[in-house]
Amino acid sequence: MSAPLLHNYDLDEDCYRARLVAACTGVALDLRNVDMFPGAEHRSDAYMRLNPLGTLPILQDETLVLTQPEAILRRLAALDPERRLLPEDEVIAARIDDWLAFWAQHLAVAKAAREIALMATPGDLAALSARTARMLRVMEDHMTHQTIRGLGFFAGPELTLADLALFPAFALSRDHGLDHDAFPALRLWARRVRLTPGFITMPGIPDYH
Amino acid sequence: MTGTQWVPLALARDIAPGTSAGTMVEDAEIVVWRDTDGRAHAWEDRCPHRGMKLSFGFVRGDHIACLYHGWEFDEGGICRKIPAHPDLEVPGSICAARYGCTETGGMIWAALPLGTDPIEVPALPDAVPVRSITLEAGLITVADMLLNEENAVIEGALATLDCAHGPLAIGVQPIRPGTVALHITTRPGASAETLLAICDWAETLRRAAEKEIAA
Ligand code: FES
Repeated sequence: MSAPLLHNYDLDEDCYRARLVAACTGVALDLRNVDMFPGAEHRSDAYMRLNPLGTLPILQDETLVLTQPEAILRRLAALDPERRLLPEDEVIAARIDDWLAFWAQHLAVAKAAREIALMATPGDLAALSARTARMLRVMEDHMTHQTIRGLGFFAGPELTLADLALFPAFALSRDHGLDHDAFPALRLWARRVRLTPGFITMPGIPDYH
Repeated sequence: MTGTQWVPLALARDIAPGTSAGTMVEDAEIVVWRDTDGRAHAWEDRCPHRGMKLSFGFVRGDHIACLYHGWEFDEGGICRKIPAHPDLEVPGSICAARYGCTETGGMIWAALPLGTDPIEVPALPDAVPVRSITLEAGLITVADMLLNEENAVIEGALATLDCAHGPLAIGVQPIRPGTVALHITTRPGASAETLLAICDWAETLRRAAEKEIAA
């Protein structure tokens, strides 16, 4: 069985999420780097045939072609025989589902804000960044409470897929002008995430360990 | 702000050894960091090289390093290493600007404004950290709300009061006009349930303060 193939762009935060999940689970991944910017290769005929949405990342695995970031992360985490990011416990699994949905539905504003700031795509940066700050506040309150309960991560005592899905939006928020001053619990959580064996960074997330 | 004043920057617990964080007091940008020996420092958040934020950098032993070109500063604020010129004996004249800094009552405090001789260092009783919380509301709004609580007193940047879940000592940090951070502590021995109840109290206060602004 060959390794799943990730169609990847290094500066895209969802591509980074996929690489990060693979790195932290030891799942082998073949990368194909796509010239998203400035080449717009992801909108070429070949790529539009593969993914009519014209987005990255795309994960190809045996007969699967996955285009939704959440599905890609779940698939990669499920390929780990130890399932270290997807523990069996039903309550923890339900919390993971909840935070993954939060990421997909509510934290997508962070990615949009960052793309406007970095790639000068059109949009209301101030409004999206303010909305991102609101979402990070929801996360900050949650991690504050988790810490008091003696739980170091979003869904429980151990790192799960939820943490890796949420981490980039926080770590990259300075790219769109949102500092970490108001989020001490998230700062400490991000530090714990960084200590995960296999952890990797991307441009914009300093690697200082 | 008139004269020198001690202002709380963070809960001591939240600045782990070997880490740094950016913050602000009335628009002045400050980096608060803790060396690996555990000592806290508060400096102007501005690298003497090109003015980038030191809080984006990282702590190495008793030095803080700037993220951009890696200049390293010792705990006295003096530049000790310039990676682009590894053989250079760095002149002792390149300095980051430091605030007076102390740790008491479970918080890290800086003497403001920059360059003033710190007045008498406050000595607060031991306290347990609850949480820091940022409110998008003006200082007067927030102070009025705190003063509505039982036995509330505000002295300098410290508010003490009794909420339904116990006595609180709260460091009040004016971040900028319209934004205030509260560093909330309570008495030692509080249970996790109590700490969570105090969090709820603080988050309710935040909702009310921000509603007041929106109204
Ligand atoms: S700006 Fe800090 S080292 Fe250059």
